[in-house]
Amino acid sequence: MVAVAREVTPPMLFVDIRKQFRATGSRPFLLDIRETFAPGFTVLFGPSGAGKSTLLDCISGLLRPDTGVIKFNNEAFFDSALHLSLSPQLRRTAYVFQSLALFPHLSVDENVAYGLSALSSPEQQERVERILPAFHIEALRRRKPGELSGGEKQRVALARSLVTQPQLLLLDEPLTGLDAALRQAILQDLRAWNAANRIPILYVTHNREEVDAIGERVVALINGRVQEWRSPCRPRCPAEYGAGAGGRVRESVARARGRAAPR
Amino acid sequence: MNLDALLLSFRLAAVVSATLLILALPLAYWLAFTRWRGKFLLESVVALPLVLPPTVLGFYALIALGPRGPLGRLWQFLFGHTLAFTFAGLVIASLVYSLPFAVQPLIASFESLDRRLLDASSILGASRTRTFFRIILPLSWPGVITAVVLSFAHTLGEFGVVLMVGGNLPGVTRTVSIDIYDRVQALDFAAANRMAFLLLFISFIVLAVVYGMNRRVWSPWLAK
Repeated sequence: MVAVAREVTPPMLFVDIRKQFRATGSRPFLLDIRETFAPGFTVLFGPSGAGKSTLLDCISGLLRPDTGVIKFNNEAFFDSALHLSLSPQLRRTAYVFQSLALFPHLSVDENVAYGLSALSSPEQQERVERILPAFHIEALRRRKPGELSGGEKQRVALARSLVTQPQLLLLDEPLTGLDAALRQAILQDLRAWNAANRIPILYVTHNREEVDAIGERVVALINGRVQEWRSPCRPRCPAEYGAGAGGRVRESVARARGRAAPR
Repeated sequence: MNLDALLLSFRLAAVVSATLLILALPLAYWLAFTRWRGKFLLESVVALPLVLPPTVLGFYALIALGPRGPLGRLWQFLFGHTLAFTFAGLVIASLVYSLPFAVQPLIASFESLDRRLLDASSILGASRTRTFFRIILPLSWPGVITAVVLSFAHTLGEFGVVLMVGGNLPGVTRTVSIDIYDRVQALDFAAANRMAFLLLFISFIVLAVVYGMNRRVWSPWLAK
């Protein structure tokens, strides 16, 4: 008997798109991306209006790019040449918005179970029971989103997205407005989840501390185009971006900071 | 008090507001959520009954429902008589007459929803139908109730259209508003006053409910 070694290909997201977009109160940009995203965290870093949320909207199927291709492994999400665009329902992609968008009229466990309607009742129950403790929200299950604190809401939003066992996770500034301790705690839960479920995670932020805290891989987006730094980030991380058009990376400052902070 | 006329008016208003809700929901959904350059044309058509003199509407309704009109002929083919001067004819004419009163509150409610809620629903795998019944509708209760209540009250007060299309047949098409007119013509002011006051009272209650509702418990859900 010959044992056949099976090669498991890690799930990869391939994005090659162009899209005209306009951030509020500025000139229109062209979002022009050609990137491959591997499993694990990829931080999408850049100033407001650089196109980060637009990119996530395109990947999730909420927005249609003007031209290009989006593929996950060998499944085409979008292909302008073939006039093909898979609806968001079918992309098995989880997306946590900056505003979280928790359903205000449903309780926490109803929110979390919302994406599981295709499963049988016992299966839904089992998955919900497993994820609530993983994000430390079992005590909140009967509450409505209006009765939750900021950190609790973030956790519910994450649990709701991850309980569907997505093949891709998109996070748009998910930890804004939380204090450092809370951010650390939630990131820890997320990392634990990622260790068990290796999928591509795109984490959008304009907060440098988060970049450093997560930093497996950083992709910087300025005015719709990509400049990238591979991990480990230091000492070549951009210290700051100028707001608006033509933000520049002050590399010398970054280098000086890198030298000043011993690791 | 003419009980027949009162019951007839209520029956007409109930049938029309219930039917209108079913018709207005998909129309309002389309107008609220679709992007189409020609949308303003449809919006104008829907809003026409707000500005059109009721007799104009009543006139065209009479023609359409009469023996030479398209609807009238169809009805005649199916049931052996025309729609003019029937309760069914009143219902059809009233559906058009009260349409904007059902559609516009629904559109306002739908448009005030946070779009990200609908996005989240799609991303979590819900079809458009599921999103409509589980997210949009429950969060639009004020709009739905306003639509039902306003179209009910508006139909209750119809005069011009009912007069043209109905023919003032007692028990069949003589509604309260027509009856009040008749009583005044007959110089029976006492009877006219009783019915007029009742309608005034009901209309006021209706408006108080609608206005009261639009600022109460529902507001947290609509905040955005």
